[in-house]
Amino acid sequence: MSAEGATPLLELVGIRAGYGTIDVLHGVDLRVMPGTVYALLGPNGAGKTTTLGVASGQIQPHAGSVLLDGHEVNGVSPDRLARAGVCLIPEGRGIFPNLTVAENLRMSTYAGVSYKQVQERAFAQFPRLQERRTQMAGTLSGGEQQMLAMSRALSTDPAILMLDELSMGLAPIIVEELYEQVATLAEAGLSILIVEQFAQAVLGVANEAAIMLHGRIQRTGPPEEIAEELTAAYLGMS
Amino acid sequence: MIFGVRRSVAVAASLGTLAAVIIAVLSWKGAPVTSETFLVTTYIGLFLGALWAMYATGLVVVYTTTGVFNFAQGAIGVFAAFLYWELHVNRGWHSILALFVVVGLFAPALGVVLDVLIMRRLRTASLVVQLMVTVAIMVLLLSVVGDIWEADTPRRVPYLFGINNGIDLGPSQLPWHRLIVFLVAIAIAVSMRFLLRRTRIGTAMRAVVDNRELAALNGARPNVVSSTSWALGSMMGALGGILIAPELGLDPATLNNVVIIAFAAAAFGALKNLPMAVIGAMLIGLLRAHTGAWLDFGPDFRFAHLSIAPLLLLFVVIALPQARLEVGRLAHHLRRHERYTKWWEGLLGCGVVILLAAAFSGGWLDFGGWDPGAWGSRELNSANEAMALALIGLSLVPLIGWAGQINFAPLAFAGFGAFVYLKLAGDTGNGYWILMVGLLCAPLGALVALPAARLRGLYLALMTMAFAQAMSLIFFPHPWVMPIIGTGRQFPHIDLFGITFDDRRGFFMLMVSVFAIFVYALVLLRRSRYGRRWMAINDSQAAAATLGVPVVWTKVVVYAVSASMAGIAGVFWATVSGNVDSVQGFDLLIGFNIVLLVAAAGVSIPMAGIFLIFIPLFKGFGLRLEDAGNVDFLVTLLDIMTTYGPGMLVLGMVFNPRGAIFEMGRGFSPILPWRSDARAEIAAENAQKREPEIGELGLERPFTPEEVIAIDRRLEILDDVVPKEGYGTSRS
Repeated sequence: MSAEGATPLLELVGIRAGYGTIDVLHGVDLRVMPGTVYALLGPNGAGKTTTLGVASGQIQPHAGSVLLDGHEVNGVSPDRLARAGVCLIPEGRGIFPNLTVAENLRMSTYAGVSYKQVQERAFAQFPRLQERRTQMAGTLSGGEQQMLAMSRALSTDPAILMLDELSMGLAPIIVEELYEQVATLAEAGLSILIVEQFAQAVLGVANEAAIMLHGRIQRTGPPEEIAEELTAAYLGMS
Repeated sequence: MIFGVRRSVAVAASLGTLAAVIIAVLSWKGAPVTSETFLVTTYIGLFLGALWAMYATGLVVVYTTTGVFNFAQGAIGVFAAFLYWELHVNRGWHSILALFVVVGLFAPALGVVLDVLIMRRLRTASLVVQLMVTVAIMVLLLSVVGDIWEADTPRRVPYLFGINNGIDLGPSQLPWHRLIVFLVAIAIAVSMRFLLRRTRIGTAMRAVVDNRELAALNGARPNVVSSTSWALGSMMGALGGILIAPELGLDPATLNNVVIIAFAAAAFGALKNLPMAVIGAMLIGLLRAHTGAWLDFGPDFRFAHLSIAPLLLLFVVIALPQARLEVGRLAHHLRRHERYTKWWEGLLGCGVVILLAAAFSGGWLDFGGWDPGAWGSRELNSANEAMALALIGLSLVPLIGWAGQINFAPLAFAGFGAFVYLKLAGDTGNGYWILMVGLLCAPLGALVALPAARLRGLYLALMTMAFAQAMSLIFFPHPWVMPIIGTGRQFPHIDLFGITFDDRRGFFMLMVSVFAIFVYALVLLRRSRYGRRWMAINDSQAAAATLGVPVVWTKVVVYAVSASMAGIAGVFWATVSGNVDSVQGFDLLIGFNIVLLVAAAGVSIPMAGIFLIFIPLFKGFGLRLEDAGNVDFLVTLLDIMTTYGPGMLVLGMVFNPRGAIFEMGRGFSPILPWRSDARAEIAAENAQKREPEIGELGLERPFTPEEVIAIDRRLEILDDVVPKEGYGTSRS
């Protein structure tokens, strides 16, 4: 855990945001300290993905501020944030289905790294991608697609990594494999914000966890404690 | 690959080859084939192919990188060619300077403006709206060209280095201009291929159409990327227009029609494969040149060699396996606010229409102190023409508006109706045969529907366009089909219920009555089982099929209904225009305009079709005002409305995809005393806008924090999760 008083790498203060006139987030406060893994847990519709949308610049908050390493970045476009080192792997498959694997990797170079580095790191971590480099990404299996999406996180040296439902729709063994990669990144000191519906997947990697319900963060604490309360929150009983 | 090993494709290809051989043998000119003549014909073919390849490259690049198939590609070329003429010929600028200003500055600027103002907002629009908007841009650009450079002056765009300078090829000369065009076209295609496949910006251009949000998350600037695509596409269109103008002459319609050949070439490459599109363009060029040189189809089929492109387009679209369309893109469906029109509302509406038309044309209305008077023959002529087009337009309401089947061939159906009527009642004008026309046109509609059953969206639009073009090049010009062309003979006056409709006013009212009957029939159809099925297959074919809706049959029926309505309308259209040349009478561009008008009217509700009647009324009214010699600004206004109105209304769909008339109707219906439902809907919508949570509960003040916690506990939402400080503070 990082020392108190250090500047959080990502901080959301009193964020209210939503779609159209309807607010989904009703005042979200969140701090990701440098070198930590923060797991944001909660049921469907709690506002987790919207929170990531705000943090990555895709959704402009109606109120509150987004701070990146202490600087306010409200209103900065997602592509500028991406070039500044914010790396969000979105929900579902974060790939371009009609581009080849190699072309998908090439898109990662907008983050300011060389094509060579992207290819080297991606293929080193996921050799299967090298075999399929000329194949259309949309024809890969679900696990391979998620590996391709993850390889952007591995190869672009981001300042902060945000993962949205990495486990969704994948076989447990592949989820395990992917989270091993996340753990390696965390060990190397990368700050990570993980959104998951199910706590089990992230418990091993997270330093800190939070429960989100109805657009508010209800509780933060060590992952184990939070996981227990999460079960209670899901089932609506004590 | 494009050429899959499908048996149907192989069969179709061999049948096509066989037909080509038979045609070639039967219509051989007897011209001697020497190596010299063959060489010259080939070089002309390659040159033509290169020009079309340039257009096709632009189309493919824009389609691959923005997902929008740009019907306005040809019109951009037309505009650029006229601008080049203005700068180079009229103002005497040097050709290189003029070329640079038009292709290097104007065209990219136009592309960026189109992207920023229009295309960017079309990303989530339905395919129908996307297509209609690019067609509207095409029509608007052509109208602007027609207004700026009036057709009365003859214009020519010179060859780049003169026609007489070039390489000597024995029997003829290869001018520098043509050699340069060929090389430039190949260079553009090659460099575009390189750009799209081998560079990062090209990859980003294709990535943006796949997933715009993800492209931004990667760090690419999606807006810059898509503007680049439009700028490039626009430049290729402009260059193509300028280079082809010396060959075809500066005529907006002719130059614009070039794009159909480019469509065929692009379709040959499944709209996305650049090398195949270029090969397709060359193939069409060679076919065109060689058939022109060696084959003589006789006077009956004098336009046959021009129909190679539409026929190839038809063949390609029907026979070749389709590329996947809209991968990963969600169709953006709108919530429908629709209530069936009641039968008596329909009757009332139709009655109002007839009265209005009678009052307008008869001069019964007193417009605030001055009396426009009854319409004379000039007004009635113009109004009759517009009325017939409005009738044809109504036929598209069930097809496009309800079933979502795009059809650019309403005039082909209408023309077929006119042909049938001419054969049945050409001498007598017996009006009862019109019903027979309706019956006989239905099978033609069904015939078109069969390939349409497996086509969707864009391919369907291209197929109907090719069908319309082929009909107007091969079928209608045949003397047996329309024997009265050029003879001065008129279509016979319609004779119905013992009345011969030989005066224009009576005929106008007859058409208004037919219009009212059509609208009423649509009101009833919409309430029928088929009306619901058409809506269902428009929303989701798969869902409709799982519910037991026979999708193919349902489509066949809607095409048949539309074709018979269009056929009946065609009888009136032909009678109005009398001995007009059929090739012009059933022109594709007019077809586009009708489709636009219908789209603008917001075709999804039958009563919206009623608004089509205002076009003939305005036409006649405007002319009447002009004759009366007063209120100039009103005349100008009506003139602008009729020229630019449809296009502008359709552009309005960018912001409001349901069409302008639909919104007008929504504004109007609460005024009607019996429409309490419309008033309730508006009230509900306003309430939702204000404050969703509180509005739904019917409370007038926000909850206090204590109340929120109490409610949550009652609902067992929170329980043991301890609220954070400040939780429950309601929104201020």
